Amino acid sequence: MVSGKGGVGKSATAAALALASARRGRRTLICEVNADELIPPLLGHAPVGPEVTRLEEHLWSVNLRPAEAMKEYVLMTLKLEALYRAVFENRLVRSFLRFIPSIQELVLLGKATWHVRETDDRGRHVWDTVVLDGPATGHFVSFVSVPQVLMDTVPPGPIRRDAEIMRGLLVDPAITGAVLVALPEELPVTETLELATSLRERVSLPLVGGVLNTWVSERFDAGMFEQLSEWPRLKELARAQHAAAERSRWALDKLQGHLGAPVHKVPRIYSEQFGREQIERMSRALEPLVAGSADHG
Amino acid sequence: MGERVLEEALRTLEVLVCVGPGGVGKTTVSASLALQSAIAGREAMVCTIDPARRLANALGLEEFGNVEMTIPQEVWSGADLSPGAPLHAMMLDMKRSWDDLISRTASEELRERIFANRFYQALSTVLAGSQEYIAMEKLWELRNDRGYPLIVLDTPPTAHALDFLDAPDRLLGFMGNDAARFFLNPAAKAGRFGMKLASLGTGFVLKQLSRVAGGQTLEELGAFLSALSSLNEGFNERARGVKALLRHEKTGFVLVTTPAPERLNEVIHFHDLLVQSDMRPVAIVVNRVHQAPDAELSLQAAALDGTLREHVEATIAEARLLADRDQLGIRRLQQEVKTPLIIVPRLPHDVHDLRGLAATAEHLLTPARG
Repeated sequence: MVSGKGGVGKSATAAALALASARRGRRTLICEVNADELIPPLLGHAPVGPEVTRLEEHLWSVNLRPAEAMKEYVLMTLKLEALYRAVFENRLVRSFLRFIPSIQELVLLGKATWHVRETDDRGRHVWDTVVLDGPATGHFVSFVSVPQVLMDTVPPGPIRRDAEIMRGLLVDPAITGAVLVALPEELPVTETLELATSLRERVSLPLVGGVLNTWVSERFDAGMFEQLSEWPRLKELARAQHAAAERSRWALDKLQGHLGAPVHKVPRIYSEQFGREQIERMSRALEPLVAGSADHG
Repeated sequence: MGERVLEEALRTLEVLVCVGPGGVGKTTVSASLALQSAIAGREAMVCTIDPARRLANALGLEEFGNVEMTIPQEVWSGADLSPGAPLHAMMLDMKRSWDDLISRTASEELRERIFANRFYQALSTVLAGSQEYIAMEKLWELRNDRGYPLIVLDTPPTAHALDFLDAPDRLLGFMGNDAARFFLNPAAKAGRFGMKLASLGTGFVLKQLSRVAGGQTLEELGAFLSALSSLNEGFNERARGVKALLRHEKTGFVLVTTPAPERLNEVIHFHDLLVQSDMRPVAIVVNRVHQAPDAELSLQAAALDGTLREHVEATIAEARLLADRDQLGIRRLQQEVKTPLIIVPRLPHDVHDLRGLAATAEHLLTPARG
């Protein structure tokens, strides 16, 4: 499950992780949640919509949307399409369901975790890896808390039972791992650490790694600045680069010190466009993270 | 075009709603606009619902959960600025806002019943989606009760744009009409929600709903909703008020984005959504635009030697790529939307204080690019 503050490259990281996983020969499914479907286009494919669709070797994608997920969820319980139509496409019931906000999160998370459990006719798991491009920091905790909230809110019944199953999957370190993405800037780093604390204390969601995106390496040393003193504008440019590198180093130290999981650097990519080629580069940088989680099964 | 759209908006509008994707500097832009208004002599309130509590730091305020604060004189003088009118700030506390709303609209006895209900507790604290509604609600309240000449509202990221714009409708859709009557009939108030409804001839629908949700769940939910239903008129009136306020002639939207290509679809989509919903985008702020290094720098670099030259040239090339990328994004926006663009260059440091906000404001007030 990938999350991070808005604008840190969360979807790009999810795409890169999925690509790295597929490259290792693992059957990989990308789940986007109620999004404008960013990932297949980033990988150079057409958007896939709400059906699980093959993108390339070992890689599939699906965009989970509340209406479709709700329908599937209900159909699994009610078994009859006609019954579903009569009840859930009833205008009153629809407006009722729209009013209860967490029902949406429940069915989306329910669908995603269902894919984790999905088996073929011989009882084998269909997916080796499911990569969920989760909501951004602010909404991620509420998203993954939904099973717990429902367990505390809803009396025994089908919803409560499903919530318990989901919660069991989410807190199992052999199955689930959160990957938190940050940029080398103060606020994204702070928010990432806050998110890690909330996940640990409120949700017990296991954390497998941090990703420090747009990492900048040091390039200029004191001697070089000395040499540049005749060219103040070049020196200013070099200073800006150096400041970015120092911020990267600061962010890495801070994350390594407090995140409680390994931190992976993804170097900043300089290009006019952002697409397949750039995701491939990110994916190579994230190999160790994917290899690490694959080794755990 | 060269219009000073934001300067005019700050002078004439009464509500500015800043919207856009996460992590583009929306909170900074919101605070800068309110700050600029105060500097120019028009009293302003900036209200943020950002859970990261950033605005507090930028304004030199420690914590301000749901409390209207006035920026103290020492923060202004510390930044070497003098306001022409007061600047106020507020951080929205969801739970407290929901409680206030219930307190305002419910009788004392009912209030206790609602506060004690588990569904209400979940709705007002952890459930995703409810912050959109309560933000709008707070905006409406501030606007009606407090008489600030200008309110600037910072909003959650656009992943929930639709929820956000849709929030009053969603509440009206449920509370407003037959849906509410269906679920909130007098029998339901007696607490025997499922059974009574079944006897009213809606049994089939309800029975199936119970199979999915669990009968007891529906009953508890019924009790919650029936408690809320006596607030129906109050809720309705407010939701209608919020809806009208977003479309009011004195309300404008400021879309905030960075020029990075991967953000633009979202921004264009949101812009279209605003226009379709009869809400007025005043400007698109393109924030953190990289400036291109000029040719003179490359000439100077060519005079260097060895590793130093390599490193300097690599740095110039990187800066140029980022600037080119940003210009590409700006051109795309210019082609696809008619709303004026305000370009704000990337500032060398994160904005943490009033001075930084004032520096941002200067850029915000530059003439728009059509």
